Amino acid sequence: MFKNILIKSLCITAILFLASCDDKDEPKAINEHEEFSRVTIKVTKEDDQSFETHEFEVEGHDHDNTNNTGNSGDPHDDHAEIELEANTSYLFEIRFYNDEDPNNPEDVTQEIIDEADEHQIFYELTDGANITISSGPGDTMDRDSNPLNLISRWTTTGAGVADVEVYLIHEPTSKTGTSRDDFGGATDVEIEFEAHVE
Amino acid sequence: MTTSFVFSQDCNLTISGKIIDVQHNSPLEAAVIEVVGTRLAAVSDANGDFILSNQCKGKLTLKISHLNCDAVFREIDLESSSSYNFRLEHRVENLNEVVVSKLRVHELSATSKIHSLTELQKDRFSSKGLAGALEQISGVTILSTGNSIGKPVIHGMFGSRVGIVYDDMLLENQQWGQDHAPNVDLNTFENIRLIKGASTLKYGTTPGGVVVLASILPKRVDSLYGKTILSGMYNGRGYSAISNWVKSHKSGAYLKLQGTVKRNGDFTSPNYNLTNTGNKENNFSISLGKNGLQHKWKAFFSYFDTEIAILKSAHIGNVKDLLRAIESDVPLVIDPLKSDIDFPKQANNHYTANIEYTNTSVVNGELHLKYSWQRNHRKEFDIRRGALKDTPALDMALNTHNLISNYEWDTTFGNFDSGVFFQVQDNYSSPETEIRRLIPDYLKTKLGGYLTATLNNTKDFIFEFGARYEYHNNEVQKFYRDSRWDLKNYEAPFRKYVIREEKSQKLIKRTLVFNTFSFNAGVRHSLSPTYSINVNYNHTQRAPNIAEMFSDGLHHSLASIEYGNPFLGKETTHKAVIDFEKKAGNFQFSLTPYIIVGNNNYIVNEPTGVESTIRGAFPVWEYAAVSALFKGFDFDFSYAFNAKTQFRNSTSWVEATNTKTDLPLVNIPPLTINNQLQFSLPNWNSFFVMVNSKTIFRQTQFPNNNFDTTVIEDGKIVTKTVDISTPPNGYHDLGLELNWGPYPLRSSNVSISLSFDNVLDASYRNYLNRLRFYSDEIGRNISLQIKLYH
Repeated sequence: MFKNILIKSLCITAILFLASCDDKDEPKAINEHEEFSRVTIKVTKEDDQSFETHEFEVEGHDHDNTNNTGNSGDPHDDHAEIELEANTSYLFEIRFYNDEDPNNPEDVTQEIIDEADEHQIFYELTDGANITISSGPGDTMDRDSNPLNLISRWTTTGAGVADVEVYLIHEPTSKTGTSRDDFGGATDVEIEFEAHVE
Repeated sequence: MTTSFVFSQDCNLTISGKIIDVQHNSPLEAAVIEVVGTRLAAVSDANGDFILSNQCKGKLTLKISHLNCDAVFREIDLESSSSYNFRLEHRVENLNEVVVSKLRVHELSATSKIHSLTELQKDRFSSKGLAGALEQISGVTILSTGNSIGKPVIHGMFGSRVGIVYDDMLLENQQWGQDHAPNVDLNTFENIRLIKGASTLKYGTTPGGVVVLASILPKRVDSLYGKTILSGMYNGRGYSAISNWVKSHKSGAYLKLQGTVKRNGDFTSPNYNLTNTGNKENNFSISLGKNGLQHKWKAFFSYFDTEIAILKSAHIGNVKDLLRAIESDVPLVIDPLKSDIDFPKQANNHYTANIEYTNTSVVNGELHLKYSWQRNHRKEFDIRRGALKDTPALDMALNTHNLISNYEWDTTFGNFDSGVFFQVQDNYSSPETEIRRLIPDYLKTKLGGYLTATLNNTKDFIFEFGARYEYHNNEVQKFYRDSRWDLKNYEAPFRKYVIREEKSQKLIKRTLVFNTFSFNAGVRHSLSPTYSINVNYNHTQRAPNIAEMFSDGLHHSLASIEYGNPFLGKETTHKAVIDFEKKAGNFQFSLTPYIIVGNNNYIVNEPTGVESTIRGAFPVWEYAAVSALFKGFDFDFSYAFNAKTQFRNSTSWVEATNTKTDLPLVNIPPLTINNQLQFSLPNWNSFFVMVNSKTIFRQTQFPNNNFDTTVIEDGKIVTKTVDISTPPNGYHDLGLELNWGPYPLRSSNVSISLSFDNVLDASYRNYLNRLRFYSDEIGRNISLQIKLYH
């Protein structure tokens, strides 16, 4: 008898469960709107306003057809290079994009400008080239008048080559410094290129 | 000669048993059991157990007394060595009856050592959580994330390998991940027990062990009683209030209400503030039932709600940030103390509702039927920007329905328990997070049955057997990014499961079926009235959990990308435990060596490479099946110098190796030695002092999972090792606890305790804390606790 009660109640519950759980919607695909997938640096020669735009994409990113995902090891393999003339002044304008959805690429730079207090761009250079970096005209200032370096002025002197690491830092503990360590915070973007001064 | 032979036969009996505190359903320590008219007496131990040996056949009277309870007398007609449960009530007017019942073996296991927390041990952690309370048991450690999130580790195993059972149901609580603490309030339950191993297959197949939280049925009397615990603590500027009320009626009807409120602000380590480490908790439970003589009904509802801040400096962006954190002696974010909870944080809630029916009039036994529903909702908030600032990075709801029926019966040769169960579980990861799902959506169906048998008709031997079969059907819908799909060559094995392709992702729908069969066998042999030996063997099969098969995402605080392994099979482990015990006298001990073997299918998470993202290169960790061997022991002993002074020691050691590579497994607890001295002063019956000394050694057995990264330093590119492997140094933690009471206060009793944790304000880091790269553990803490028994 107890077996009967048991089996009956199990069946009834099973039916209830299945009725309530079936036809579950297929999950929606998620586009990560917050992550950056592309960074551009527009390098303008101040003398003649000639410019060149350099693009940086995530290695192995879905839109990138270089099948370089994972295990690629040394990130210094295929460096982008930016050619600069000696004794010249350039403006570097950096912009951040999310083009996870190719039909609707987003420019995330405005969010960084809106939250200027919580962001900082920092260029860290190795020795080898004589380059001075300062905030450029039209750069964004935070509440304490610290420039974000969204637009920076690069002044070259002698020839040489330097490795450059570019960081977008979220919630830095300091907005000024001479090395990445000085800024603290979380690194949201880290890209690198070689600056060739000739 | 003949006379002495007869004498020795007749007076060689033992009376053993357990003293239980009726109101709190917990073992009662330090109750005195005397044989009236003789000088023979025994004192119950921390588990409430006592043994009176050398008793003669015939009628005798026992007097059971305890500081907090009125003495009661009980006549016994002793025919053979017997076990009795004595239930004592706190000294409350009109409630001074003792209930004696012949022990029916409804313990979790009759052949394994069961560790029960005493009321004192439980209340000490009432405001700190379950994992901390369990850590008082030897062989149990905490795997933590900061100072507020902890999950119990038993014999080096945690997560899906440790079952947490509350109110007879396995907690279904998104156990994946180190930073997922059990969402259950220990204050809802009066009784907390633990078995190290799968020696009870009633609830599930968990090779590490099982923790069982239970509440006791109120008696059939008209009564209203309860307990309130108020605590305040200096470190964290925290407080908590916990209150339990029981209204019982002589018809058997009862109502139980319980509520918990906890608040903590930022904690401090000896040298700095731990910015963003506060937490809050609001819990509530109600149970309503009727204890008839033949029919018992019970309905239960509980709500658990917690919000936990995560150490600010543990939010990092990439491996260079991690390197910077490891190289810095202090956290990179130290702000003034505050009491509110900021990002990053977790917000979790857990609902439980169940209804239960017991019929005690079936032949020789009891029939139980229970339906239970659990809903766990977990949100993890990161530091985000723009419109997504307040949107969780992870938002998952896990719904579980359980239906279980079991029949427990007694015969002349033993006790039996058999049951069948049916479970449906649904996980939903919200796409609103705009971050790809760490855990895919799935629907799981589980059904099966178990049988346990305890054979105790042989003198001095108890045998126990158990078996459990489970059928798992997981219907998983998961998105794979095309890049991952191509890299892992999933096209050949999984193309047939693809149901949709969009935005460089493939959605697969796949059904995974696992059949698991587990069994155990145990024997308990009483070598003498005081010495016994238990031997247990557990063969456990566990279906891999969804995280092990399908997790996919970035762990911020470890700067690592984690991937599941969709090819995993079921995990089979063998565990053998021996427990040699002396349970009476001034000197008592228990020595528990054990060994666990997982051949070819023990699931671990290990580093496999590096993946580049726009944030830089991240180490990738993937789940894999390896061969594992655990060996270890727990050793406990206590010595009572006199009635007022007792010393206790517990020592635990475990070593776990991947036997294929001969490398140690990660996150295995180091050697731990606990010493405890408890004493009270002459003529101060209501006062005692306890000194706790805990020594944690440095873990010397660890795998090297370090990796390299390059940074610019002084104008040069240099390669640096990110040392995530080297365990921190050992440490010594000294604690002191002063207890007063209980004292009568109007119609209630009140007791007060003042405790000091980390008295020496020592700075140290804990190998089993996932945030050990970022900060020291919390410093000195002083807590005051006031307990009121209504």
